[in-house]
Amino acid sequence: MKLNERSVAHYATCDSPTGFLRKRVERHHHHAHHHHGTSYQRRWFVLKGNLLFYFEERESREPMGLVVLEGCTVELCEAAEEFAFAIRFDDAGARAYVLVADGQAAMEAWVKALSRASFDYMRLVVRELEKQLEEACKSLAACCKSPRRSSSSGRKRHLSNPALLPLQEKPTVLENGYSTWGSGVPGGTTCPDRDGGHAKPPPLPPRRRSAASSAVGFPAPSLLPSMPESPASPETDCFSKLHSWYGQEIAVLRREWQERQKRGHP
Amino acid sequence: VLKKRLVKLVVNFLFYFRTDEAEPIGALLLEHCRITKEEENVFSISFIEEPERKYCFECDSEEQCQEWIEALKRASYEFMRRSLIFYRNEIQKMTGKDPLEQYGISEEARFQLGTHKQ
Repeated sequence: MKLNERSVAHYATCDSPTGFLRKRVERHHHHAHHHHGTSYQRRWFVLKGNLLFYFEERESREPMGLVVLEGCTVELCEAAEEFAFAIRFDDAGARAYVLVADGQAAMEAWVKALSRASFDYMRLVVRELEKQLEEACKSLAACCKSPRRSSSSGRKRHLSNPALLPLQEKPTVLENGYSTWGSGVPGGTTCPDRDGGHAKPPPLPPRRRSAASSAVGFPAPSLLPSMPESPASPETDCFSKLHSWYGQEIAVLRREWQERQKRGHP
Repeated sequence: VLKKRLVKLVVNFLFYFRTDEAEPIGALLLEHCRITKEEENVFSISFIEEPERKYCFECDSEEQCQEWIEALKRASYEFMRRSLIFYRNEIQKMTGKDPLEQYGISEEARFQLGTHKQ
């Protein structure tokens, strides 16, 4: 089966957990009872994402092979060797990999790292965090007033809300998400914090302050560069709820403005 | 020359099959790659270290094309890892707590802010 090997080799050789492990040379007999003279070969292993690459030598430019860590369990195994562990696949027909570490600590580190390497595991954690973020947004949004409110009274109420005061005192916490990241990082699609505005005095329109105080913020138009690959999922419920909340506010404001226009400028 | 293939996205691999076969002819590991919309119904996959080499795919419709582009952009392990770091950071800022502690993975190098593995 073909594989985009060159790209894979490039991916493999960028930094990741690495180390020497001895790999058991497996014979393809499932019925062998005894592995007399089982041999092991020392290889350089690199864990990259959900892929375990192995190289002939540490300096080798290209991997000899790779193990895709999906649908597998990593466990300590009964072997004549000390510090041995195995990667076994749910698919019974697939060969297991028996690996031997240098010592107890190395073995434990590898087992831990490999058990958490799968794409499925990552996906699980990401989904969990998405939910947690949504919950956090919701509970903060509950502190904020609804979009339908009169500006002046709403603002006062807002400022006196104890849950929001600490946030205003610590503008650094509400620092724009962009500034703490390097390049290639979340685009304007989800919950980046507002910058600057909340630290300024009252002349700012009330909606700005309320949104800032919500701590979650919303994509400020000037900070919406289109990042090629935003890591945050635009389908996050949290964002869509913020988006519709903000959208509602825009609709209310627009109506108010139009009404004022009709009455003549006040 | 376009050849009809059955294409299957499994975690961060894009497998391709001849339409009547069970074994894939090949696969593309979707890491360090860029998914680009080409002309109508067509997208391409190219890899960072060889950007001129494009693997082009023609879809049945523009809608299908967009679906695949979106799916492929999110298919990499690196994308997930960055999402995880992003959510972790956001939750930490909002709640003051590190959500990864409950999983016992808060110290892992791959989840630290500022880890750029590209």
